[in-house]
Amino acid sequence: MADQKVVVIGGGLAGLACSMQLAESGTKVQLVSLVPVKRSHSVCAQGGINAVNDSTRKEGDSEYLHLDDTVYGGDFLANQPPIKEMCDWGPGIIDLLDRMGVPFNRTVEGHRDQRRFGGTMFKRTAFAGATTGQQLIYALDEQVRFWESKGSIEKFEYYDFLGPVLDDKGVCRGAVIQNLFDMQVRTLPADVLVLATGGCGLVFGRSTMSMVCSGSACARVHRAGVGYANGEFIQVHPTAIPGTDKLRLMSESARGEGGRVWVPKKPGDDRDPVNIPTDERYYFLEERYPKYGNLVPRDIATREIFSVCVEQGLSVEQDKLCVYLDVSELPPTTLHKLDGILEIYEKFQGVNPREVPMKIFPAVHYSMGGLWVDFEKNEQTGGLVKGSVRNQHTSVPGIFAIGEADYQYHGANRLGANSLLSCIFTGMFVAPSLRNYLAGLSEGTAADQPASLYEKAAADHMAEHEALRNMSGPENPYHLHNELGDVMTRNCTVIRHNQPLTETVEKIIELIDRYKSIGLADQGGWTNQNLIFARSLADMLLLARNIAQGALQRDECRGAHEKPDFRIPAPDADSPAELHKQAKEWCKAFKTKNDKWLKTTVAEYSADGPKMKYEPVDLSLVPVRPRTYGLKGAEVIEQVWQEMTAGDADSSKPVATK
Amino acid sequence: MASTIHIQVKRQDGPDKSARFETFDIDYEPGMNCTTLLQRIAATPVTTDGKQTSPVAYDACCLEEICGACTMVVNGKVRQACTALVDDLIKESPDLITLAPMTKFSTVRDLVVDRRRMFESLKRVSAWVELDDYSDRGASALVRPEDQEEAYPMSRCMTCGCCVEACPQFNEKSDFLGPQAITQAIMFNEHPVGGMTATKRLTALMEPGGIADCGNAQACVEVCPKEVPLLRGLAKAGRQTTLHAIKSFLSK
Amino acid sequence: MGGPETSDWTQRHYFLLRRLHSLLGLVPVGVFVVLHLTINSTILFGGDAFQTGVDQIHLLGKLGILVPVEVVGIFLPLFFHALFGVMIWMGSTPTVATYRYGGNFRYTLQRISGLIAFVFIMVHLWHMHWLGEPLGGAFFDPHHAADSAASAMQRSVIYGPIYVVGVLSTVFHLSNGIWTSLITWGITVGKQSQRTAGWACAAFGIVLALAGLGAIRGFMTLTLEEDQPPAREVEVSLPGGDSNDALASLTNNLDIIDEQTEKIHG
Repeated sequence: MADQKVVVIGGGLAGLACSMQLAESGTKVQLVSLVPVKRSHSVCAQGGINAVNDSTRKEGDSEYLHLDDTVYGGDFLANQPPIKEMCDWGPGIIDLLDRMGVPFNRTVEGHRDQRRFGGTMFKRTAFAGATTGQQLIYALDEQVRFWESKGSIEKFEYYDFLGPVLDDKGVCRGAVIQNLFDMQVRTLPADVLVLATGGCGLVFGRSTMSMVCSGSACARVHRAGVGYANGEFIQVHPTAIPGTDKLRLMSESARGEGGRVWVPKKPGDDRDPVNIPTDERYYFLEERYPKYGNLVPRDIATREIFSVCVEQGLSVEQDKLCVYLDVSELPPTTLHKLDGILEIYEKFQGVNPREVPMKIFPAVHYSMGGLWVDFEKNEQTGGLVKGSVRNQHTSVPGIFAIGEADYQYHGANRLGANSLLSCIFTGMFVAPSLRNYLAGLSEGTAADQPASLYEKAAADHMAEHEALRNMSGPENPYHLHNELGDVMTRNCTVIRHNQPLTETVEKIIELIDRYKSIGLADQGGWTNQNLIFARSLADMLLLARNIAQGALQRDECRGAHEKPDFRIPAPDADSPAELHKQAKEWCKAFKTKNDKWLKTTVAEYSADGPKMKYEPVDLSLVPVRPRTYGLKGAEVIEQVWQEMTAGDADSSKPVATK
Repeated sequence: MASTIHIQVKRQDGPDKSARFETFDIDYEPGMNCTTLLQRIAATPVTTDGKQTSPVAYDACCLEEICGACTMVVNGKVRQACTALVDDLIKESPDLITLAPMTKFSTVRDLVVDRRRMFESLKRVSAWVELDDYSDRGASALVRPEDQEEAYPMSRCMTCGCCVEACPQFNEKSDFLGPQAITQAIMFNEHPVGGMTATKRLTALMEPGGIADCGNAQACVEVCPKEVPLLRGLAKAGRQTTLHAIKSFLSK
Repeated sequence: MGGPETSDWTQRHYFLLRRLHSLLGLVPVGVFVVLHLTINSTILFGGDAFQTGVDQIHLLGKLGILVPVEVVGIFLPLFFHALFGVMIWMGSTPTVATYRYGGNFRYTLQRISGLIAFVFIMVHLWHMHWLGEPLGGAFFDPHHAADSAASAMQRSVIYGPIYVVGVLSTVFHLSNGIWTSLITWGITVGKQSQRTAGWACAAFGIVLALAGLGAIRGFMTLTLEEDQPPAREVEVSLPGGDSNDALASLTNNLDIIDEQTEKIHG
């Protein structure tokens, strides 16, 4: 075990957390990243990181309620034991980050301050201004640099991960990587490969994600046999600012600190928003969701923006989904906590959001889906068995996935400020599992593999590289990418219909076909970004097909996946008796829908398109219940549902927690 | 408003190759920034005089000015390409927008430079909090809100390199750490846990290339896109090393 | 790159040397400049006032320690400050052409003014100090302070401009140096304190510049007396003022400077 190495691909929060934890326990790490790890996409996280804390506990909060909010917010699509483990780890992780020097905002007494985020009634979110992701990744980057200076971690920055090295039994024995400067291909022999490569926002052309978030690394292990799960669940963040190169996030923390979303009541009202009196403003989230107000889960906020803009024609900008996000009435001390994001708005829009309401738009933001990973449930705690080699292990032995790259923690919709937690948690939690996997290897290690295994892997990739480099067909990879982004954004985001989805799949197949005749403007052998992009485009097309196909097949509404044709009609009766009757029907339909669709989509790779399998979700901790945010007759539905499931021991037995 | 934007890019095929200039015409769109221009050039790499060329190599990642990747010299001044908005650049220079790589680092290709020296500087000053382990040791020390207010702006440094590009003291002739690394060292010295190993950092700051090499040109703080209080960090480094030198002399 | 591991003495004591460089610029060199310009400015109150000031300084000569004080207290620190300063300058790549900020201008001016000041001081030594005698200079006579200084200044029209530029450079170098040293030594850390210190140093600089310029004007416009004895005779007749002895001791001291510099630069 002494000279065994772990190769971590991706240097965001998850990859860094995993690397430092491994280094601390004496395992050597090789960390591969497209960019210097400090520049990874995690820096873009703004609002904060969730964990139960002393002040929420006083209000009755617990790890169980954090689990409940996460599961309910995610519309029950997530396996519950991993989430339970994550929520249990939350408070400890924040304490650790604090020790590492993350400058969390403070109360007068010197405790960490917390703000409220979407999908919960508790102020669980610790934050560092409005650039929490940046602050967290810097803390982990510094720890990794410390281990790097000790020789425990070796970084490969500006390297692209080309694929895993699998032996003849299909066991992972290393990685093939390419230097983005001199374009040299090399192999890193290792028995464990950890994918921590984040999401795939680039599939949608422009999103809030960084330029490295193509999902290509995930696609490359997917091709090697790792399942891709719940790809159709893509979070569209309700509040972003559009740009010609990307869409920029306007954090949920703006609403967490009291920012309000509204549109003018009069369609096409072209008055300066500051001159529109309060009674002529439609605070639609507050009116429709009195309990959560502006802090409903993101999928719901986004759909409501769609609803007021498209169905009611109240968009601030014609033919767009544009509403006001208004922080101009907040006191200066509160605004100060949001400086980081307000500066972004001011710099890019040239308007001071402290004085004028911000114009914001929904934007693709997060991939709930990702690489399929396993877990081992701890029957005593309901959480996970620490150190189990099944945790975060993909279907290919030796390949693990963590962070946004895995599918496991957010179900059908992610709650704000849970992603930073899931990244750091999975990174740290997987480390003992990796060590146990290494220790338990019975049939030799990477060191015992013949050199030819690696030589062949490198040669194969080099051949592919050369083939791509010499492509000189008529198709332009950047233009193909634009077409992909357009069709995906139009048909595969907030609202989905089967006909356009079918067309989308066909379009993707067409693009895959046209990709075969692309031409590169740069056929050089030095820092060829043209080639690197073209190669990742093939991966984006692969993932796009998983996403669109998954969305097409899933005939229901769940979390971020909204198909109006399969909505269960909301009760609308006024008389209590009639309402009760409707609620009963509603619940029946809800049960039927869950029986059919409360399942994880797992796409298996095949050359002629994904093969979809569906597997059950572990619901052992929080019984399924209707997600009734803002639904008319919500209480009646909840009551009827309770009566219906009272005797149903299988699906709704609450588990006692600590 | 101009409907076509003229861009001149300083290009260089590799570290040992000679530099040349190429100009491109890009259709104007409202809200454009320099990274958009580079994306457009990549999609259609044809120069103004109709010559087919290769896409311009450049570094970019978050495009929200928080990752520090896309630092380059735009219209002669170092900044992040993502927040360099075309509308503003046209006001600076109506006829031509110029893009060039940073001059203080070796050019890899076109606008991509090798900034590893900055990360090495962070190593030299032990820019981290050294912990006993990563186990759960419960709540950490209380922190005064004003100490957080002091630390947070320093912690926003994204190692983008603007400060060292403008700094006359940072060049290949010297080992100068640069304002960014020095300020990080100070930030850790002021952290309750990080301060435990302050001596290590101060020793590094007193070596050649350390704080003494700061020449007080103060250009760093002017060009810093994140308004990191670099001058404050440098002055504090001066204070901490002064006191450290006196104390260690008196304790010998 | 990386932590330089060198046994080289100057490298090991780099911080100390740099701080010494900063300190010597202030004390004694800076203090001397202030005293010198203040005493010179007394010419504005008449030749007698100036003579009184000069006599006080030359009391040291009567005690026989003027030369050691000059060498140890002024020349050595000055040469160290200047030579080390030039060395530091060699390591810089000015960016002021591109980054036209106040601080960056001052940074560049600080270096240029330092060089001008040093050249000026050399000219001044030749012009006024007995060190300049072998080279046909040394026109100042402490016994006839006002007259000899004035006649020296009025020997040519070029002295006026030279002294104006020299004095202004010196004063700028000193007052800006005080301001930056407050940051270097970590005394002014905050923006506000640095700004306040900036105004204080500017005011100090202006007053000192006025004193210096006033003195130049004073000497340039002083009406000369005709029956002034030649300076050399008086100098030789001063107690302990044997020029040969003085020269011998100076040469000796210069050797020491050489040795020191050699040690430093190895």
